[in-house]
Amino acid sequence: MDGIHDLGGKQGFGRVRREQNEPVFHGRWEAKVFALLRAARTAGALKNTDQFRHAIERIDPIAYLSHGYYGRWLGGLENLLVEAGVLNRQQIDSKALELGADTDWRVAARPVAQPDVVGYESEEPSAIRPLPTEPLFQVGEPVHTRGTGTAGHTRLPAYIRGREGTISAWHGGWVLPDSNAHGRGENPEHLYTVAFSGAELWGEQSEPGVVVRIDLFESYLLKM
Amino acid sequence: MSEHEHPTSQQSIRAEAIESLLIDKGLLTEDAVDEVIVQYNERVGPMNGAKVVARAWKDPAFKTRLLADGTSAIAEFEFSGGEVDKLVVVENTSDVHNVVVCTLCSCYPWAVLGLPPKWYKDPAYRSRIVREPRRVLEEFGVQIAAGKELCVWDSSAEIRYLVLPEPPSDIDSASEEELAARVSRDAMIGVALI
Amino acid sequence: MISELSGIEQPPMANGELVFEAPWQGRVFGMARALSEAGLYSWDEFREYLIEAIAGWEREGEGDYAYYDHFLAALESLLADKGVLSPGPLEIRCSEFRHRPHGHDH
Repeated sequence: MDGIHDLGGKQGFGRVRREQNEPVFHGRWEAKVFALLRAARTAGALKNTDQFRHAIERIDPIAYLSHGYYGRWLGGLENLLVEAGVLNRQQIDSKALELGADTDWRVAARPVAQPDVVGYESEEPSAIRPLPTEPLFQVGEPVHTRGTGTAGHTRLPAYIRGREGTISAWHGGWVLPDSNAHGRGENPEHLYTVAFSGAELWGEQSEPGVVVRIDLFESYLLKM
Repeated sequence: MSEHEHPTSQQSIRAEAIESLLIDKGLLTEDAVDEVIVQYNERVGPMNGAKVVARAWKDPAFKTRLLADGTSAIAEFEFSGGEVDKLVVVENTSDVHNVVVCTLCSCYPWAVLGLPPKWYKDPAYRSRIVREPRRVLEEFGVQIAAGKELCVWDSSAEIRYLVLPEPPSDIDSASEEELAARVSRDAMIGVALI
Repeated sequence: MISELSGIEQPPMANGELVFEAPWQGRVFGMARALSEAGLYSWDEFREYLIEAIAGWEREGEGDYAYYDHFLAALESLLADKGVLSPGPLEIRCSEFRHRPHGHDH
């Protein structure tokens, strides 16, 4: 999806802020978010990492930018728990108010009424899936990337779409996130590292000597 | 007012009382305590990666194995905690400087570097490093020569990337252990030099 | 070089980072190390006290295992044995903190 999470190349964010002393303690609630992750798995609301990533991508965009890393996790987990029917919004809202929540606080979660159902668990701990087919592309070959986005989960960022690059490595078969996140099966594909010059991505504005290398699935790529 | 005593609030008071007494006695400062935790979080997690780097600097045969197949090479260390399906180690040389990002979320080589720093996960880094890496690195205090290639690795799938920094000039006289202590987490992401 | 706490004395960690469930745990950890680095005791000495505190709980303690409870007990014990902390002043300071007004920032 063309969500707010797809940040590569977006402008306007200013200097990278490195706090001199990052908060030295995790707030108690961050430890709770870890626990919530385990609970969501146990409850069957979370079946795979791709599904979790997509749940985070679907949270409120303003919350995505302002709630921080664990805030994004919390929003994603709430999406999954509500969509799986483990909790409902009213329950969560009233409990939060009972505990003293600020009614002005922007809630990150945006659970959908018709969620995907991931009806299977992965049998393997790793995402590698050897494939019987030959890879379509060879190292050194020029390729085009797909020009259009998708409404669902993908690992093809907008800044790479419709660009010309060169295959720099082949990694065999891997679970396809675009399919797995939505419970449509693992549908593994050949995975490649593809190199793009800064000039190709950013035009005249590009800094000299910049190369971006990114890992892309075969269905993201087109023969030239 | 009735006090509801939790065991943890008792501990909390106790810890604070001890700290304040020690500060009164001049045995401790608040800053010293903060510093320890920051150090531990920045050093312990990344210590695994630092060991890998130091060995690669001292042992050319290991370095060759590491660059050919990072996953198998780090398995030689038997690090516990954090799984990685595939680790690719990218070498900084006189021709190329490497830096790592995940623009789409916050993927990071946990197995060798521990938890990612906050800035790595924030929009400013994720958006800018693929577009203006030289400028971002300058803000980190790192100058990359104009003639050098600046390669940005966007970790968009399950492969994780670790930067092998350029070694310091005294690798022959320093021990592997001493060298490991000088390898920072930031250098293994690619935003610092040794 | 930071020496590792391994085995039963290893602090709770997640993905390579220390996990504190409450700020006081972090303070206690930081204090123990800072005092060791300042030379009040060696880290090995502290480990001995920590192992003893955990063993003491295993022998006769109540309640669930709580790592930082033992850490705190070990620190107190060691500081007392070093003559740096005495029970009297500590109790008074605890009492002062218990009775201060609500809303105090840690």
